[in-house]
Amino acid sequence: MKVLVPIKRVADPANANKVKVAGSEVSHDGLEWVMNPFDEWSLEAALRLTEDASAKTRTGEIVVVSIGPKAAVDTLREAMGKGAERGVLVDGEDTALDSNVVAQILAKVVEKEQPDLVLMGKQSADGDSNIAGTKLAELLGWPVINYASHIETSDDGKTLTIKRELDVGVQTLKVQGPAVITCSDRILKPGTIKNGVTPADFEYPDLGDLNSRLSNLKNIMAARKKPLDELGLGDLGVEPVRVDEYVGFELPAGRSGQAQFLESVDELVQKLQSEAKVL
Amino acid sequence: MAQPINRYKTDLRDYSFLLFEQFKLQDVLGAEPFSDWDEETCNTVLSQVYEFAKTVTGPLNRVGDTQGCRLEDGRVITPEGFKDAWKKLYDAGWRVLGAPAEYGGMDAPTSVAVLSDELLSGSNTAFNMYPGLCLGAAEVIAEFGTDAQKKTYVPPMMNGKWGGTMCLSEPHAGSDVGSATTMAAPVGDGTYKIRGTKIFISGGDHDLADNIIHLVLARIEGASAGTKGLSLFIVPKVRVDGTPNDVQVTSIEHKMGINGSATCVLEFGEKGECVGELVGTVEHQGMRQMFKLMNFARIGVGIQGLAVASSAYFNALEYARDRKQGSSIKEWKNAEAPRVAIIEHPNVRRDLLMMKSKVEGMRALITKLAVHQDRLRAVEGKDDASVAYHQGQIDLLTPLVKAYCSDEAYRVCETAIQVYGGAGYLKDWPVEQYARDSKIFSIYEGTNAIQAMDLVGRKLGQGGGKNTQTFLGEIQKWIAAHKDDADLTDAVANLQKAHEAVGGSVMQFLGWFQSGQMPNIVLMAERFLHMMSKLTIGWLLLDGATIAAQKLAEGGLSARDQAFYEGKKYSALYYAKNIVPEVIGDAKTLRACDVSPVQISDEAFGPA
Ligand SMILES: Cc1cc2nc3c(=O)[nH]c(=O)nc-3n(C[C@H](O)[C@H](O)[C@H](O)COP(=O)(O)OP(=O)(O)OC[C@H]3O[C@@H](n4cnc5c(N)ncnc54)[C@H](O)[C@@H]3O)c2cc1C
Repeated sequence: MKVLVPIKRVADPANANKVKVAGSEVSHDGLEWVMNPFDEWSLEAALRLTEDASAKTRTGEIVVVSIGPKAAVDTLREAMGKGAERGVLVDGEDTALDSNVVAQILAKVVEKEQPDLVLMGKQSADGDSNIAGTKLAELLGWPVINYASHIETSDDGKTLTIKRELDVGVQTLKVQGPAVITCSDRILKPGTIKNGVTPADFEYPDLGDLNSRLSNLKNIMAARKKPLDELGLGDLGVEPVRVDEYVGFELPAGRSGQAQFLESVDELVQKLQSEAKVL
Repeated sequence: MAQPINRYKTDLRDYSFLLFEQFKLQDVLGAEPFSDWDEETCNTVLSQVYEFAKTVTGPLNRVGDTQGCRLEDGRVITPEGFKDAWKKLYDAGWRVLGAPAEYGGMDAPTSVAVLSDELLSGSNTAFNMYPGLCLGAAEVIAEFGTDAQKKTYVPPMMNGKWGGTMCLSEPHAGSDVGSATTMAAPVGDGTYKIRGTKIFISGGDHDLADNIIHLVLARIEGASAGTKGLSLFIVPKVRVDGTPNDVQVTSIEHKMGINGSATCVLEFGEKGECVGELVGTVEHQGMRQMFKLMNFARIGVGIQGLAVASSAYFNALEYARDRKQGSSIKEWKNAEAPRVAIIEHPNVRRDLLMMKSKVEGMRALITKLAVHQDRLRAVEGKDDASVAYHQGQIDLLTPLVKAYCSDEAYRVCETAIQVYGGAGYLKDWPVEQYARDSKIFSIYEGTNAIQAMDLVGRKLGQGGGKNTQTFLGEIQKWIAAHKDDADLTDAVANLQKAHEAVGGSVMQFLGWFQSGQMPNIVLMAERFLHMMSKLTIGWLLLDGATIAAQKLAEGGLSARDQAFYEGKKYSALYYAKNIVPEVIGDAKTLRACDVSPVQISDEAFGPA
């Protein structure tokens, strides 16, 4: 199975307090970059789909693709250090992208790579738009399933059985690939992915606070030698059009940072009713 | 179980600065023996080890402290989570980063392995001792063992299947290793029956691995007294054929810190059934072989000091930015002035900058030593003069790394507690544990008094004093080149005076040696070790500051780099203007050499 995993680098959400805004742009100066956590979930899901976890061997192929400046190579290498086979960097400026541009570029990459599946984050931690995956499926004419919590492949790998956890219950869908799937964090739990290769009783370790597995020394060393293509928009033959126009950004009002310790749960309930008025 | 929360913090920017901007590790990368390594890979490895430290070992630091180890039915049970962390560590491969490929390692530059070790030790000192000592023991067998021993013992000790220890200390042989009474009797088939008691053995037993390989210093029957008569033995807990080997843990110590590390009393051969094999084939080589492990471990202890001090600093910094108390001193007449974060108070800023400069100074010292090792590895077998130069500097710097970093670690932790105020004394914050954990660093692997005597008694005069001369010559050359740097003039002048003071003190020791005034040497050795360390660190920090000044002058920096380089500059200025001058006063005290401690009678110290 060949899986395409788009990966965005985002300013580390842990440093949100360092963000500066200037009119219609967010300044990236001085920020540390990390892999979009939502993309990490998809990467982890893709890794589990394409490996025999008990034999510790890879059984499929993952191509990670990022649109961004040259420095985004680090993010791709990080993903390859976790196990992805190849990387594709499409040259782009962080500030020149919107969901529409991203979807158009990715559609071209998909045409070129012909994956069986695109697994992507449901959103990015900076823009929170929730659009790119659906838009990509639309452009490709593929089915899209958002917020997958379980993925099971059929023996020939063509049919996928997917569960989505919704407020009203768990929905199970069968889909014929190729398709675009976005994941919820439930996908990181043990036993959510069945690929017919990893033994059914294999227990993935709990990832704790991590969004995807840690890489190891062997993989990091190997990742340096894995192929990484750098493409311009011209190479893909696409002139993406931006449809969103950002007219202004404002930082959220600072929180007062006051904490109050209450004596009892009763007091809390009362305060929530009378002061916060949320109950 | 205490809530597993990670408190470990550092700033990797300083690591890449030291490796690639100051000590130019890239000179030796991309060619044998580091052909697989480039700058990006080194930085990636460090960032991944840091991730590992924050998410796997870091959260277990307080857990290990509160739970400690237990001895049940003659077996040590380590704190919750340690077993899982051990497995993850070996799965990830971080512990064997610098090991040769034949043992599953990646031949990483020593400097990268050393800085990774800082990340692991800082996140959980006690845990990291188990794999740390195991690696050291494996390296001794890899270097001195027979081919069969290498094949049998090294791979499982490198891949985490087995653990390893170093067993020197005995009830009557602490600093004085040569008094060891553990005996080895040849059986006739090449093996020996070992009998004796070893105490204070770190990781002497644990439940992390299937077997534990003890490296035991013992005296073969009839061998001479003292260190010369000692031999080193491989003594497995479980023999290779699977039978138990008559090694008993009779108790574990209850300690001030590093509670997650089991400190064991081991009884070898109580039933007369403890079998060991000599490391290699030649008897009475024990001390020479053990020295390899001791040098490795001494640098390792310096790294522990740096690691804990660094996290103490970053935690204190975070707290100081957060805690509001008092108003700005500039508003001293205004009772209504707003409350400010304590980082606004000049004394708190001074404490923070003192910690920052010491931490960065220790890291620079350790990185310098490690890059000497890498440069040595790059020319080994090709350029003997170069090898001798690097080896000489490594030998000279090792006691500084062990003793200065371990002494200062405790002091930095103490200052961190002070910055917190009352909160720092509480178990709610990490710094009190750091202080308790770090106190042992100045004691084990040879107390700092022993390190200081190694420096003045052996290292200063090694090679006819050539290593010391070369070393001081390099500092002199640097001073000559930078004495007119506009930003640094006073600072360089201080360094110049400290350089003269250290040079003078070296001559003073020589004089005492020649006139046989040995007590003076022992009285002043530790003071001198600190003088030489301060001179070295002052030099290295100022050298870093010149690089930072150039980057700042060139401009075009990101906000983060701008702040980083400014920080480097002020660390150096603080150290050069507040700590380096101590060397000058110390030299006077040293020359005057007050002998009161030797003159005072035992009775005058107080009633028995
Ligand atoms: C937690 C912990 C873990 C340890 N782990 C290990 C281990 O894994 N393996 C191992 O073999 N050992 C280990 N040790 C033992 C450790 O190395 C010794 O404690 C150390 O070498 C000092 O020996 P001692 O405790 O007997 O002190 P002593 O030798 O009795 O020293 C007491 C004091 O006298 C001073 N002194 C002693 N001799 C001289 C001298 N000749 N000249 C001047 N001053 C002197 C010392 O500096 C010290 O201040 C460990 C100890 C601890 C506490």
